Amino acid sequence: MAWKSARSNREEAPWAQGPSGGPRGAFTDGVVHVFWLSGMSCDGCSVSALGAVHPPVESLVSGNIPFLPKVVLHHPMLADDVGRDFVEPFRQAAEGTLGAAYVMVVEGSIPDDQTLERSGQYAALGVGADWPRSLPSSRGPEQPVRTSDWIWALAPGAAATIAIGTCATWGGIPAAAGNITGSMGLMDYLGRDYRSSKGVPIINVPGCAPVGDNFTETLSMVLQYLEGIGPLPDFDDLGRPAWQFEQTVHRHCPKAGYYEEGVFAEEPGDNQCLVEIGCWGPVVQCNIVERGAINHMGGCMVAGGACIGCTMPGFPDKYSPFYKSPPGSAISGGVSKVYGSGIRRLRRMSMKTGNSEPLWDNAQEVPTGWGLAREARQEPLDKVNIFFYKKLQYNGTVHHGKRNKKQPLPGSRDILRQKGVNLEASVPVLGEKLKSREEI
Amino acid sequence: MSATRAADDVREMDFDPVTRVAGALSFQASVDVGGGRVLDASALATLFRGYEVILEGRDPRDAIFVSSRACGVSGGGHATASALACEMAFGIQPPPMGIVARNLMAALECLYDHPTSLFTRIGPDYSEPVVRETNPELWERALQTAAPGRGTHGFELIADIMTALTRFSGKLYTEALHRGRRAREAYVLIGGKYPHPQTLAPGGISSTIDTQDMNVMLMRVTEFFDYSKKVVAVWDDVVDFFLEAEPRFREVGAGPASFIDLGQWDDPYAYDGTFETATAWAQRRWSTPGAIVDGRLRTTDVQQVNMGVEEFVDHSFYESWTSQAPRLRSDPAGNPLSAYHPSNKETIPQPGQTDPARKYSWCTAPRWDRQPMETGAPARLWMTALARKLPHRSFMEPTGSGLRLAVPQAWLPTAELEWRAPRHWGALERNRAHAYALAQATLVAYENLVLGLDLMRRGGPDAGVFTHYKIPKGVSHGTGLWGGTRGYTSHHMTLESQVIESYQILGPSTFTMSPRDGQGNPGPCEAAVVATPLLSTANPERCIDVLRAIRSFNPSMSCATH
Repeated sequence: MAWKSARSNREEAPWAQGPSGGPRGAFTDGVVHVFWLSGMSCDGCSVSALGAVHPPVESLVSGNIPFLPKVVLHHPMLADDVGRDFVEPFRQAAEGTLGAAYVMVVEGSIPDDQTLERSGQYAALGVGADWPRSLPSSRGPEQPVRTSDWIWALAPGAAATIAIGTCATWGGIPAAAGNITGSMGLMDYLGRDYRSSKGVPIINVPGCAPVGDNFTETLSMVLQYLEGIGPLPDFDDLGRPAWQFEQTVHRHCPKAGYYEEGVFAEEPGDNQCLVEIGCWGPVVQCNIVERGAINHMGGCMVAGGACIGCTMPGFPDKYSPFYKSPPGSAISGGVSKVYGSGIRRLRRMSMKTGNSEPLWDNAQEVPTGWGLAREARQEPLDKVNIFFYKKLQYNGTVHHGKRNKKQPLPGSRDILRQKGVNLEASVPVLGEKLKSREEI
Repeated sequence: MSATRAADDVREMDFDPVTRVAGALSFQASVDVGGGRVLDASALATLFRGYEVILEGRDPRDAIFVSSRACGVSGGGHATASALACEMAFGIQPPPMGIVARNLMAALECLYDHPTSLFTRIGPDYSEPVVRETNPELWERALQTAAPGRGTHGFELIADIMTALTRFSGKLYTEALHRGRRAREAYVLIGGKYPHPQTLAPGGISSTIDTQDMNVMLMRVTEFFDYSKKVVAVWDDVVDFFLEAEPRFREVGAGPASFIDLGQWDDPYAYDGTFETATAWAQRRWSTPGAIVDGRLRTTDVQQVNMGVEEFVDHSFYESWTSQAPRLRSDPAGNPLSAYHPSNKETIPQPGQTDPARKYSWCTAPRWDRQPMETGAPARLWMTALARKLPHRSFMEPTGSGLRLAVPQAWLPTAELEWRAPRHWGALERNRAHAYALAQATLVAYENLVLGLDLMRRGGPDAGVFTHYKIPKGVSHGTGLWGGTRGYTSHHMTLESQVIESYQILGPSTFTMSPRDGQGNPGPCEAAVVATPLLSTANPERCIDVLRAIRSFNPSMSCATH
């Protein structure tokens, strides 16, 4: 049978029936427009989204992902058209004459320029001549149209509205102390009663800049839902993708184990838990250490960067000054130091026995040139601890230690010495490295 | 664009927005379509956020991460400039490995950004669909023209390259997205994330940089050995094809070859974080700082470069601040500073009607020695080539009129590339230089990886990445002088009682996309647009050459206005 395109499959195949019984694609007709509007933005969210791979932007726009509608992207950084040709579809969408479903994506916070006493704008797209005639306007034909105008005009008709990045979601740095543009997040601008034409409140994908995959993944899940495939994705009580943001970043942090053992970095560049040099990870909802910054690589604490809470509504003011330890860490960090030092001691003891082959135990020697020495004599306390540890470990089952002790030493052990090879001629390059490592 | 008025054949055209640039830019132009000329052009930056005001009154430890957010396209450059400003104000310097790590991040940012700019923003203007629509005779010619660089890039005909430049679907377009991601994957190993790296700190970095990170970065960078050879071959072929087919293409985006740059990639044993010695340590950067006017080198002294900068707001939506006494009458080395110097600037926004005769842009008009200047990746090549100061010559050799780049063997054999300063400076040559800048950044990344591995091998305090600091209690000043990915990036900070009293940011695109100054001199891009002939034979109204001129400057508008 010849392969058919995904689209024709969707129309004809018996399994191409949505949960409601209607044909899939009925809503978007196989094409959905995405309007990207930049308010008080640094374009960092666009840069992030362009780095995403699950899915990548070029796949979304080419329509080569089965069962996802082809995205017609209206993004200034990627478009071919300029000026009126670029703005025309925005006008059509605002007037309701686009003839296709659309999603509105907002990057950057929204300035309070609707109320500017003097005319002017803090963010703009197109000129007054391109503005829909059916809608009220305060701009002359040659004056830049405020981005905040396009946002209120496009919001009601959008099938979904997605705020990308901490500026658009909560306000971010343009809305921080010293904010002279009156900037705010999209939720504040559109109000709590806003729903998209499909009944969905604003979807918020925060981060400064966000993980690109967090955005393109959310967008494709929403598109799938609109196509009649899969559930409405699980959003939390602030409209964040719950599977991405319901955990604190500390829970999946590769340095969280240091916290548990009460070991903390004293200065930037140290490997341990970064709380004392200003990491807010234990109280910040984010997935960057587990997902990575791009294609599962990097992530702030993975690389040694302290979390400054850039996904959170309080960012930046509630997490500053940066590079100063959060007050809460004095209590929780102090407790963890006390508890952790005991835990760490027990673990190192287990590791000391675990880091030795039974053969080495029998030979009373570690056959390495790398410096790991076998403790000639165990402290009496260690002996007692190990005795009870083994008791518990092998209680009710087989104690391999006893069997191992009966194993004779292999006759060909230390073969080079047996064969008379001169081993004294090697160059000592390791020097200091031969010392055994005391603490990991 | 929209034609709002037509008198004879002269039309007022709004390119609002200019797309495929980073950030919010528009142009208003008077175009004589029949005559194929642009009579007048105004660059409108339509965004203002108030970063400088938001930074005032903050703890200086916030400066790096807040100011980085001014631009998400060149955030690493701003974060670095801010770290340098903090170090000068605190009186500290990072250990060598901390500087090497920053160099790596700056070079990796170029490896991400240059291909992205060359192929997703600039490239489509030379792609099959665009050339067929605007100049079908060029497309016919391209079908008949063998590509000289086919042994390197693999495209038989110039027409094949044009097809590969097609937006979203072309092989060169999609490969640039892929390569950019590969570079960013290396970046985030020590930067944590991109844009807005999370590991820059006053006194160094906070990266836990280890041999695994070095290994992965090395693998990523060596991928760019071949890719940069290919990118250079592609742009050499495209540029030469257009110039041979129609010599007037050299007038598209033409400019006087006046450049300003601060240099980037510090010598780990030279940079000491003080202004007084900046002349010496900045000249040891992998790209040389300086100023070139009309193709002639004027200075390579970073103090002279900084001293000569003034920002004007006659046509910008700001109130003048010069009625107050200047904050600094001289820099720490004793050089006099103008009241218009960025460290004396106050940000006083004045939103209003857009009127090219009066105020029309949120961008200020920075000038050096009262002249408009270009900056960016091409400026890095020009300055390094003409100055012949480059101290690191394992792979690069400035000749006084060009820069030789020895790109090591990978799958392709070793290539000796040479960029030569062109006699006629314009959009096509900007793009060619941009391609060579990718090879330059690749080699800087490679040299710094080797340097970093050597520091790790030797160990000791030089292999550290961070220096302790105390925030001074009195008044202190810090100037971060850095040539970021897009060029000139300076941060000017004044501390008082351990709080930021004043913070000013001057970004690269502020220079290139500036409006007219008080003397009526247009900004570099405005002048380049006016110099541009409309060479489209089939669709001159599309003004494709105007767009080629603008995009060749590779602006980032959120760098330009804060």
